[in-house]
Formats: sequence, C-alpha cells, structure tokens
Amino acid sequence: MITLDRLSREEALRYMGGARAVPDERLNALIDDCEAQILGGARPAFLYKIIDLPDERFTEGKDIAAHLEGCDRAVLLCATLGAEIDKLIRVAQVSDMARAVVLDSLASAAVEQLCDKAEREIAERISGAYLTFRFSPGYGDYPIALQKRFLTELDAPRKIGLSANENHILIPSKSVTAIAGISDRPVEQKKRGCAVCSMRETCRYRKGGTHCGF
Amino acid sequence: MDFNTLLKNKEMILLDGAMGTLLQKSGARYDHAPETLNITRPELIESFHKAYIDAGADILYTNTFGANSYKLEQSGYSVSEIISAAVANAKRAAEGTDALTALDIGPVGMLIEPAGSMSFDSAYEYFKEQIEAGQDADLIVFETMTDLYELKAAVLAAKENSRKPVIATMTFEKNGRTFTGVSPAAAALTLEGLGVDAVGVNCSLGPDELEPVIAEMTRYTDLPLIVKANAGLPDPNSNEYSILPEQFASYVQRLLPYGVKFVGGCCGTTPEYIKALKTMLSDRSFAPCPKTADTAACSAVSVAEIDQPRVIGERINPTGKKLFKQALVDNNIDYILSQALSQISGGAEILDVNVGHPEIDEKKMMARVIKAIQSVCDAPLQIDSTKPDVLEEGLRSYNGRPIVNSVNGEEKSLSTVLPVVKKYGASVVGLTLDENGIPPTAEGRFQIAKRIVERAEAVGIDRRDVYIDCLTLTVSAEQDACRETLKALHRVKTELGCKTCLGVSNISFGLPNRELVNSTFLTMALEEGLDLPIMNPNSAGMIGAVRAFRVLKGFDRGAADFIASCGDAPAVPKPAAQTELSVADAVYSGLKGEAAAATAKMLESADPMTIVNEMLIPALDRVGEDFEKNKIFLPQLIQSANTAQECFDVIKARLAQSGSQSVSKGKIILATVKGDIHDIGKNIVKVLLDNYGYTVIDLGRDVDPQLIVDTAVEQNIKMIGLSALMTTTLGSMEETIRLIRQTRALQNPDGTSRCVVFVGGAVLTEDYAMKIGADYYCRDAKESVDTAKLVLG
Repeated sequence: MITLDRLSREEALRYMGGARAVPDERLNALIDDCEAQILGGARPAFLYKIIDLPDERFTEGKDIAAHLEGCDRAVLLCATLGAEIDKLIRVAQVSDMARAVVLDSLASAAVEQLCDKAEREIAERISGAYLTFRFSPGYGDYPIALQKRFLTELDAPRKIGLSANENHILIPSKSVTAIAGISDRPVEQKKRGCAVCSMRETCRYRKGGTHCGF
Repeated sequence: MDFNTLLKNKEMILLDGAMGTLLQKSGARYDHAPETLNITRPELIESFHKAYIDAGADILYTNTFGANSYKLEQSGYSVSEIISAAVANAKRAAEGTDALTALDIGPVGMLIEPAGSMSFDSAYEYFKEQIEAGQDADLIVFETMTDLYELKAAVLAAKENSRKPVIATMTFEKNGRTFTGVSPAAAALTLEGLGVDAVGVNCSLGPDELEPVIAEMTRYTDLPLIVKANAGLPDPNSNEYSILPEQFASYVQRLLPYGVKFVGGCCGTTPEYIKALKTMLSDRSFAPCPKTADTAACSAVSVAEIDQPRVIGERINPTGKKLFKQALVDNNIDYILSQALSQISGGAEILDVNVGHPEIDEKKMMARVIKAIQSVCDAPLQIDSTKPDVLEEGLRSYNGRPIVNSVNGEEKSLSTVLPVVKKYGASVVGLTLDENGIPPTAEGRFQIAKRIVERAEAVGIDRRDVYIDCLTLTVSAEQDACRETLKALHRVKTELGCKTCLGVSNISFGLPNRELVNSTFLTMALEEGLDLPIMNPNSAGMIGAVRAFRVLKGFDRGAADFIASCGDAPAVPKPAAQTELSVADAVYSGLKGEAAAATAKMLESADPMTIVNEMLIPALDRVGEDFEKNKIFLPQLIQSANTAQECFDVIKARLAQSGSQSVSKGKIILATVKGDIHDIGKNIVKVLLDNYGYTVIDLGRDVDPQLIVDTAVEQNIKMIGLSALMTTTLGSMEETIRLIRQTRALQNPDGTSRCVVFVGGAVLTEDYAMKIGADYYCRDAKESVDTAKLVLG
C-alpha cells in the first residue's frame, strides 16, 4: 500500500505553463484546495512483475533495445490513481475550468510520485540489483499498442481496475505502464529528457523554454 | 435437474473453486488465453471439473471467464469454438451426476462509458456473442464485475437472448466499493430490479473481510446471496494464499445468517476448500433474510432510500425555460450539467430529467443527457417523459435503479409504461389522472391511485415501488383544490401503503410571494405524508422547510444535516475586496464580482459594444499575451476568461432589455474526435472562445464525424475546431476533415469548402495539420482565439 504525500508544486506548475511566472496568493490557495481533493480521492495502486530478458513480447523497437542494453531482467510496472480522480476532473470541467486544470496538473504530479514510490519499493525487493529509469509504451518507437499486453500480463483490470481502450488510452487516465531494466551492475542512466522524447518537435513545454520533467 | 429444482430442493448450494489456481498449479502452458486450453487440453479442464464435483460442488463454472472476442482477438479461436468446447468439457465431467454447468462470463476487459470509452451497446454485443455460444449451459453466471453498468449490459444481453437463470457477483475492495465506486446496496437494488436469480460477491477479499459487504447487500434485496471469496491474500513472493481450507469454511459460515445460499471459492481455492465448505454446510440450512430497507432509487454509487422525505430537483426541464430549450437545440450538454450540479449543491437528492422539446430527437437526447449527468453526478435520477419509447431509452442508458415519471390511470399508459418499468426494475410515479382528466375530488384521485397500484402489482411491481402523485392544482384558480390534493395524499399514504410525490411549485402560480406559498404548502403536504417533493432545491425557503421538517420529525438525528446546511464556508478564500477596479484590471486579475460591478457602472455612461471592444477584449488580449510569454499560469488565464464572461452576462442582460443586437460574433463547433476521450484541452479552448464573444457549440468528446457534419449543416456553421491528443486518434481527425470537405451542403457553389477547420492537440504539428487538410493549426487556446478573430472577426 502506497500513500501519497505532499505533491510537487514545481512539477504541477510546470504543467500549468507560466515558466517565468510566480503563482499569486489566489492560485496558491486554489492549488492547496485541489491538492486536498486529489489526496482525498486518490486510491493509489500498482502492480509489477519481473521478466527474464530477452522477451520479445516486451522489447519491440530500437529504443527499448537500447534502453535495456546490459540488463538480464526487467520489471513491468503499472500504476493508477483510480477512477475517482477522473471524476473529480470531469466535474470541475463543468463547474470551474480553472480548477479542472489545476486538478489535472496535480494529478499528473501525483501519478509520478506514485511511480517513484512504487519503483523504490520494487528496488528494495530486488536488493543487490540496479534499475534503469522507467520507459513507457509510446516513448520513442516503443509501440503504444503494447498497453494491452502490459495490462494483461499484470492482470491489471482485475487487480487494480486499470484497463486500456481500443485506442490504447489508459483508463483511469491518471495511470502509467512502464518497463525498467534490471542489471547486476550499476547501469549507466541513459539520458532522460527531450533528446529521446518522441514529442520533442511538438512539445509546448520545450517551445516555452522549459521541459515536462521527463 | 435444472437450476430452479436445485434451488427448491437444496438448502445450501455449493459452487466450485478457482479454475486459474488449478491451472497454475498444473503448470499447463498456453498462448494468449487460458481459455484456449478448453480445446488444446480438454482432458485437463475436465479433470479440474471432476475434482470439484468430487469435492461436492453442485454448480461448475466453465473455463470461459475471458472468452470474449476482445480478449480472444489474438488466440486464433472464435468465441463460439472456445465456449462450446468449454461447456462440453464441464458437461462431460458432470455426466451421471446432478451437477449443473454455469456459463462463466467475466468483464470484457475494457472500461465502459462514461469512465471508459466502450459503449453500452458494444459491451452488450460482446456478452450476447458469449451467451449465444453457451446455449448448452444450464445457467449463466457473471462474475468479478466492477462496473454496474457493464453488468447491466451483461444481464440484459442474457435476458434478451436466452431464457436461462442468471446469477451475478461483483468484486469489492477493502473500502467496501468496487474499483469504479459501486456500492453493495446499489448492486443489490439494481440487479434485483433486472431480474437476476441470485446476487453476491466474488474474488478480491477473503471471507473474513466480507461481512460488511454482505450485510449491506442483504438489507436491500430479497434474493439469495452468493459468496465466492478468495482464500485471503496472495504472498507477493510465494504466491501462496493466506487462508487455509478449514479457516476459510469457518469464515464463510459466519456470513450464512445474512441470507447466503450459494457458497464457493475464488482465487487461491482448490477442491480442498470446497470439501471444507461441504463439511461445514452439512448441518446448515438456508436462512432467508428479507430486505429491511425501504424502497429506494440509486445510481451505481449512491442510494436514496425513501425512508424520509427526499427532495427531487425539478429544474432539468425545458418547460417555460428559454435558455434550457436553446441548450437542447444547440446540444449544449454542459448547460444541463451545470443545472444538475447546482441543484445538488442546493440540496436535491434525486434529479428529475425531462428533455422533451419538439425540435429535437427526445430519445437520443434522453440517453445522452442521462449518461452525461451520471458522469459528473452521483444522485439517482428520475426519468421524465410522456413517451414510452423515450422512457425505455432512458432506462436502458441509466446506471443504477431509477424512478420513472410517469404512468397514469389511462389504459394506454398503464399497458405501455408498466411493463417497461418492470423489465428494467425501476420504481414509478403514478399520476392520479385518466382519460377523463383530473378528478376534482380526493375520492376520484384515490380510486385512480388504487387502479394504478393494482395494475402495477399485476405485472410484478411491488406497491412500495409505486409513488403516487395526487397532483397539485393552482390555488389562485381553484382555491379548494388544495384541500382535495392533501386529502387524497393522506388516503393514498395510509390506505394503500404507497409512497407519495408531488410537484409543489404549481400551487402558487399567479400569486405574489410564490416562495412563501410554496413553502407553506410543502410543509402542509409533508405533514400529510409527502415523501418526494418535486421542487426547486435552490429555493432557500423550500429546501429549508424540508430540512426543518426532518429535524422536527426526528429523521435528522441531532439536527446534524440541518446545522451543516446552515454554515457553508467558501472553499477558496476570496481576496479582500478592492474598491473601484476598472473593468480591465478586474478581468486581468480574475475578480468576478468586481468585474461585474465595474461593468454595470460603466454601462451607465458607455455604449455596450464600446465596453466589449475597447475594454473586455483588450483585457483578455493582455492576459493571453502574458500567458504566451509564460508570465502567468493557465488557470489564471481561464479565471480571467471566466471573469470576462461575468461582464458579458451583464452586458447581454442590458442588450436584451433594450432589444438591440446580440453580442455573438459567430458560431463555432468544437469537438474531440472519434475515439479520443481527452477533452480538457478542447474545454479550455471553449472557455476562451466563449469569452471572446463567440457562440461555441460543444459536441463533446469521442464525437462521430457525421454528427459534426450534420450539426454544421443544420446550424450553418463556418468554423469547426477539432482536437485529438493521441497519435492513434489522428486518423479519425483526418477522416472527420475529409467528411467535412466532401459534404455538399458545406461547400460553396464553386465546390470549395465553406467551413474553416482548425485543429489542435499535443501530438499535432503544423505540417501534419496541413497534410490532413486543416486550414489552421492552433498550438494552444490563445492561438485558437487569434484564428477565430481572423476568420470570423
């Protein structure tokens, strides 16, 4: 069981644009209020499974091959904040769009926190080995169509209520699937960031002179 | 032996244990889906069934949990091949015994609308295919369900495509809810209404943790209950389950007094567990447990038990409301949703939904509005129409157990509405009028009420689920009629034992100080036994009367609700009010009250259009530029836009008074394309366009291209905005644009397109936008406004 604690303001504010801005008192109050709603409504849950490599079911594409180089095992991970968060954001979209944007940004920060904590728990259980960073379907040339395979392999619909639709959109939406390589030796942390991101040409953060935190 | 004989003959019925656990232990390998083993290893599956029969199971679940065409997609087998093999395996194992074969069906594997994007109809088709393939089974079981709406599709598919008995179980978490928030009470109410033969729980928790869930279910249903629990929790390392067979049986034993008749095991259980259950059951008999709850309406997550007066909100109804009618014509669902939310915050516990309007397709609109309301609002709904086909469409679309408004004493109404109410398991409002109109006397109305109740009972509707409306007449027209209404209400309540409802507000029509008359009448009616006032919950006097009544009658213990309703603090502290802000500054800072006040003041001396063009729009532009330069955050931009909306409202009201032109700068359609369900970006664009004075027709998310084209043709639209957030849905954006371009009615005489299409969304680029035929690519909401200015002015 993972419980979320204080959400990263820095990260949430980045999702709200305004790279050269400082939030005013009103926005801060709104963020506080929304944070309480997110922490109250989230039912964070995650699942993982360790697979032996090579496993062609989860290693389609050049980018994942490079990412998992030197790893003899990998961990499949999925995590979700649960359905209530989607509902909170839906309701806010009807009554107060500014609140919806704040909720949405905070929820994105929350799901990252959840994944970080899940990863730490997993790392403890495989003590003595090292993890690469998380790589998700849809990054680079790693097919987004693998969502279903991840979810089936982890029995996610039944165990934590996480599924994908025909267009590979995760539902509940504040969820993640990812794979991380496991190695007996410290792995060179391949660079995360804009260089390996498939969104680099269109990314609004990058155009605004900032980044999404990836 | 058939299911009903088994039900009659046996005190307690033993189900089997897990299939998956035995498969895992056997080490059997399979590709894609364990259901393929029905064909590749039939002897293995048969041996599992036999082991459960030997342990004492009366009913075997076929190895078909995930045998639907979505999950079997890559398996190389069809649903019908797998299911007929699976049923044959179980039947062979049961040969020479009395064991029955249950066609086992689990969730499709995709989440259904509104949380997910699988439509109700496509869920229905998946289940129908499985049910048709399993015609040789003795009964149908739906299990491990987490979404009540998906389960409703499943039960309807079973009822409409077979005559087999149906039993259904859902999976609850530690918080006593399913993943999608379904409560045990809502599951029990809804499923009993739909006519299943037994209801209960399976999977997820151990039997030691299920008591609260089972206790809640039994309060709301007369059906026998099912418990098919996990053997506790699996150890993350060894995968062994924590509860041993004898322990398991003794936990289950504790649940039997709640009306449990079916017991078995789910994940982690084996024939040993079933044997232990058999031993435990040997000296037990079934303890029926009739429901103790009063009649109730529910959504999937929230139950309104009619054990005390409950407020039904009346405002989702176009009668006499110009704005509401316009919203229906424009497909402006958000307007209707805001009506729903404001009634809930006012204190409504159930919402009446009426969308009857001659210019629209009422059936389609009813389905759309019900689904939309249920996606943001937990309160149960009352489906309101005079047309039986609209009622049925509403009942089918609804998640939970609704109220139908209404049936009346006319033969035509009785014979068409009541069977539909029965089929979907709703409760129903009965109006005391018939072919001859509304009887003037209490006696006349009582007689009609009696007839309605008799006819309802004849089709199998419990009289507790008939809510009689003795009809309010306008007191200014017929002063003595009020007395007759109340007299009739009293008699219905005491002599027929029915619940009563009443539209309250009619009483005061034509009088001054209507709220006072309404509240007084409401209090009088409550005292005569009114259960369901249909009223405006945002009228402080009326909602206050109901709350005070509940305190005085002892329903609201400790006056807790009453006191809570009297002291509402605003969630976000408002900044100290500043004096004498200009319109522009107030908009920039997002201060609604100040902006509206400043606008009203300006209107005393300035022309409305001057205020719009020289103050509001420049102020919005300034905010937009600051956002572009990353000097402010997106929520601040939106707050400013919403503040401008307040100013526009003040100005519109003034223009309406003086009868001059409207401030709309033109209509724009917005939609998130088919297949895509991310709509937050589109909604931000909408707020901004709205507040620059454009009229936005928001078609929502996952929108069919044809609907976009049809709306554009009907409303003579010149500008369409499309949004897509996934690489996988860009195709449907392209297809939508293609359809817009090909549609004759959207072309100029020379064949060129008269619709400007602008597109946006995270994965789009300018180049790609041009490639798929868009006219403009808009990076963000601000650019959408710039584009609209360019195109529409």
